[in-house]
Amino acid sequence: MMFAPGDLLVILPELLVITAACLVLGLDPVTPPSRKDGLAWLSLGTLAICMGLTASQMSTPASAFGGIVIVDAYACFWKLLLYFVTGLTVLLSCSYLKEERLYFGEYYGFVLLALSGMMVMVSAADLLTIYLGTELMSLSLYVMAGLKRAEPRSLEASAKYFVLGAFSSGILLYGISLLYGATGSTRLPAIAAAIGGRGLDDPLLLFATILLAVGFGFKLAVVPFHMWTPDVYQGAPTSVTAFMAVASKAASFGAFLRVFVEGLGGLKANWTEIFLVLCVVTLILGNIVALVQTNIKRMLAYSSIAHAGYALIGVVAAGVAGGSTGARNGIAGVMLYLALYAFMTFGAFSIVAMLRKGGLEGEEIEDFTGLATRHPLAALLMLVFMVSLAGIPPTAGFIGKFYVFMAAVEAGLTWLAVLALVFAAISAYYYLRIVMVMYMREPGELTATSPRLVPSPALSIVLACAVAGVVLFGIYPNPIVNLATHAVLTLK
Amino acid sequence: MTHALPWLTLLIVIPLAGTLAVFLAKETQARLIALAATIVNLLVSLPLWWLFDASSTGMQFVEQAVWVSAPPIRYHLGLDGISLPLVLMTTALLPLCVLISWKAITTRVRSFMAMLLIMESAMIGVFAALDFVLFYVFWEAMLIPMYLLIGVWGGPNRLYAAIKFFLYTLAGSVLLLVAIIVLYFQGGHTFDILELSRGTYSHSLQMWLFLAFFAAFAVKVPMFPFHTWLPDAHVEAPTAGSVILASVLLKMGGYGFVRLSLPMLPDASKTFTPLMVALSIVAIIYGAYMALAQADLKKLIAYSSVSHMGFVTLGLFMFNQQGIEGAVMQMVNHGITTGALFLCVGAIYERTHSRMIADNVGLTKPMPRYATLLVIFALSSLGLPGTNSFVGEFLVLAGTFLWSKLATAAASLGVILAAAYILWMVQRVAFGVPSPQHLPKLKDLDQREMATLVPLVVLIFWIGLFPNPLLSRMHASVTTVIARVTPASTTVSATMSAQPHPVPASADPASLAPAGEPSQP
Amino acid sequence: MVHVSYYLILSAVVFLTGVVGVLIRRNIIAILLSVELMLNATNINFVAFSQHLQDLGGQVFVFFALTVAAAEVAVGLAIIIALHRAKNTINVEEFNLLKW
Repeated sequence: MMFAPGDLLVILPELLVITAACLVLGLDPVTPPSRKDGLAWLSLGTLAICMGLTASQMSTPASAFGGIVIVDAYACFWKLLLYFVTGLTVLLSCSYLKEERLYFGEYYGFVLLALSGMMVMVSAADLLTIYLGTELMSLSLYVMAGLKRAEPRSLEASAKYFVLGAFSSGILLYGISLLYGATGSTRLPAIAAAIGGRGLDDPLLLFATILLAVGFGFKLAVVPFHMWTPDVYQGAPTSVTAFMAVASKAASFGAFLRVFVEGLGGLKANWTEIFLVLCVVTLILGNIVALVQTNIKRMLAYSSIAHAGYALIGVVAAGVAGGSTGARNGIAGVMLYLALYAFMTFGAFSIVAMLRKGGLEGEEIEDFTGLATRHPLAALLMLVFMVSLAGIPPTAGFIGKFYVFMAAVEAGLTWLAVLALVFAAISAYYYLRIVMVMYMREPGELTATSPRLVPSPALSIVLACAVAGVVLFGIYPNPIVNLATHAVLTLK
Repeated sequence: MTHALPWLTLLIVIPLAGTLAVFLAKETQARLIALAATIVNLLVSLPLWWLFDASSTGMQFVEQAVWVSAPPIRYHLGLDGISLPLVLMTTALLPLCVLISWKAITTRVRSFMAMLLIMESAMIGVFAALDFVLFYVFWEAMLIPMYLLIGVWGGPNRLYAAIKFFLYTLAGSVLLLVAIIVLYFQGGHTFDILELSRGTYSHSLQMWLFLAFFAAFAVKVPMFPFHTWLPDAHVEAPTAGSVILASVLLKMGGYGFVRLSLPMLPDASKTFTPLMVALSIVAIIYGAYMALAQADLKKLIAYSSVSHMGFVTLGLFMFNQQGIEGAVMQMVNHGITTGALFLCVGAIYERTHSRMIADNVGLTKPMPRYATLLVIFALSSLGLPGTNSFVGEFLVLAGTFLWSKLATAAASLGVILAAAYILWMVQRVAFGVPSPQHLPKLKDLDQREMATLVPLVVLIFWIGLFPNPLLSRMHASVTTVIARVTPASTTVSATMSAQPHPVPASADPASLAPAGEPSQP
Repeated sequence: MVHVSYYLILSAVVFLTGVVGVLIRRNIIAILLSVELMLNATNINFVAFSQHLQDLGGQVFVFFALTVAAAEVAVGLAIIIALHRAKNTINVEEFNLLKW
């Protein structure tokens, strides 16, 4: 393998993000607390440049370092989504960290490091790079989850995340090692070629597939590998939770699809069954358990578990449909679902972060009581996000569900679409509970006396972006649909 | 035919613009802006009545644009003789809803008016949509505003009623979405309602799809076993909410049956006719019977709605000119009459703060104008000849008579029961002896309230005495629907000839020819 | 020449020991050590397969896996120390502020 300088150009966005991360870490000690916002601006500037670079790479697929990194339209799609979400995270953190009295400049460094890990994940074509990307992302997130050092809850979340994350990485790595033994390579195209049409003749291959499915199951937070999610989402600082719930899930799906579609496409008959079971139990458990939550971050955690279930419908549909356009539609459905899910989930967490004010935690559903009178605009935005999460038109959530259900019906999985829609109707109950509390109850004593909610300019931008995405893509989804269909992977 | 103006888009956009204006304006101006928006919308919709070409069987005022390129979802709007009256009814009722809420709504007026306006757009969208996904989007978009209307501005038990309404209708419509997607793949990869209506589907598929459609539409109508959300929602909703619910929302169920179920699934519709007729007759009698037992005015009207909507579904599944025209008439009439009755209840509730019949007796003396109007609306509701409801119910019963005499007799029982509960209610509310403690509160209707109610009186007598302008406009469209349903059962092979318009459409209804002018009361 | 299947059995035993350890141990340090066992089982696999397949890729993977494991331990221990300071315990059963 020869090292070509041109390869560095291919991974220029990654290099830029890592450089910026190091710069932020280095500048942090010499920056006075009052000027920490400058680090956020540095991060945002980097993201803007990367966005331009990645957009220009979209039409010209390239690979580097002997094919362990691929920058194709698929990778660029996820990267653009990740930049966008990271940008929102940085903006959200600007005001949230002050409210929490967390003056860590390193915070932005960790955000950028996690982002670089995610970028590696989605453009990796080798299990080694995927593993490294996953770990880079996870290690940064473990630390970010525990940033509220003074608060045992945050540390506990961090510890739980770490233990289960490391555990799942171990399982993933073991699966990778078995796959390497069975196929003789860690390169995805080589693995696909080795598997070819031979199917599951090798027990190693069977174990490898199962272990990889379990390992990714943890990262995607699908039932029964979801148990870390509610604790971590609840305990972590809200800005970090939003970042995890959206960006880490998107990147994990990106890598997951790449491995199972491009690497293990030959075994689709086998993994489809696994994911069908996971999808059904995820839909059922995620939605049912969300019904009884009293903490909104916990409820959103279960909601995000359920949404992973909806996205898996697209994966299952792709597997069942096989090599036809049906498979493309299924995968495009997953990509679209996660992209649209990003807007509404991030928006919902931003409102939760906004409610963190003075003595009010803003994390119990009760804290939303009478929000419509205290801050009508925030209540309206939360209403839009909840409606979208419930998948009711004309919002982005409906479009996302529509496309995965289309793929499911096209693949002949009509019963799965019916089941998922029934649970979507059930999910409306817990989303509407928030609406009910906001609009149909008068503020209680605690919430009535709490300080006035005034969103900072940065937070306003975040909310505006999120709500614009939810509403505009709900009304006119064409651009993002075309982008997803253009960037989709081909399942052979 | 093409029209220069995008009429239907205007009708959908004006209320949305009004919503925006309401949000930007001050709280005190919200009422005026909402009233202006609804009246402008009414004025824009009125020319459609005259521009409409009654002889054409196709869609008119058609607008098309690509909405989503893959899969092909289009922004496709159009009206025919079935949807035109419903759209006009909607635009006519909304200003009245704003007027009746003028004083009744005191909290969060802006949001209330915004919700009314969003509802108006969505309702017009449902009636005008010719793309199935577009239809579904408008259909579902109504849920949240209605949920808020009931839940925020409703009565004491509003939370329960709101969530019950929401979950019932949402649960009903999720299956509709799957059915739409299945139809897309079975019907030639299109969401166009007109194209889907021309396709032929296997009988077993039709049965499943019919059940899925049924789940959505029967909950909305509401048909007999699915009606339990209606009394709760009506009782708790604010007056304007009740009016919208009874007058327009319920019609969407009937409209769904006639626009979608009958033309797309003719064989299944035939198969399910006995069940549908049975459920309709049960609804007619059960609704009327329950209405007899109510002490709450709103509940009484709610159950009478169940009964009246039973006539709609009964007429629709007769598959003859009288039945379907009668059903569409009945939809419009029920919208006007029941809307008027709810407005009356709202007016009296503002005074006595009670909807109980026992608290509102003997209003003739203190409120003569009110009592007069109430009696007119009540008589219209029981279907007195000369009023609008008579035309619709008579046509439905005439259509039923062609199908089964027994069913006609059973349905007629509902008319008799209606006379009983309506007259019993009128007797007490209008002619009893008022309780002294309520007397000082009983001021007669002011000008605003008269302006709300009198237009409906005009409509009641106009349709009751001259139904022909309305009937003639829906005639061609109804013929198209029947042509779609009838040949499919008599000659299955006719569908194999793959003609978009089966020949029997013009030849077959010779026996129905007298239906052209069926009713001159 | 030892056949590759012996290595596989060894690594499977080590891996399962690690998995069971994570699931039943209550001391977070012991859990961390069990995770390390899992990672080392992986390394045995990679080296064995690398030898078996005559392919260097597996050995390269081991270098990366070891490095990542070291980083993981560093982060993990830092979190455990912070947690110990806050709660004076490293028993996972007493981490009960959040429902499991």
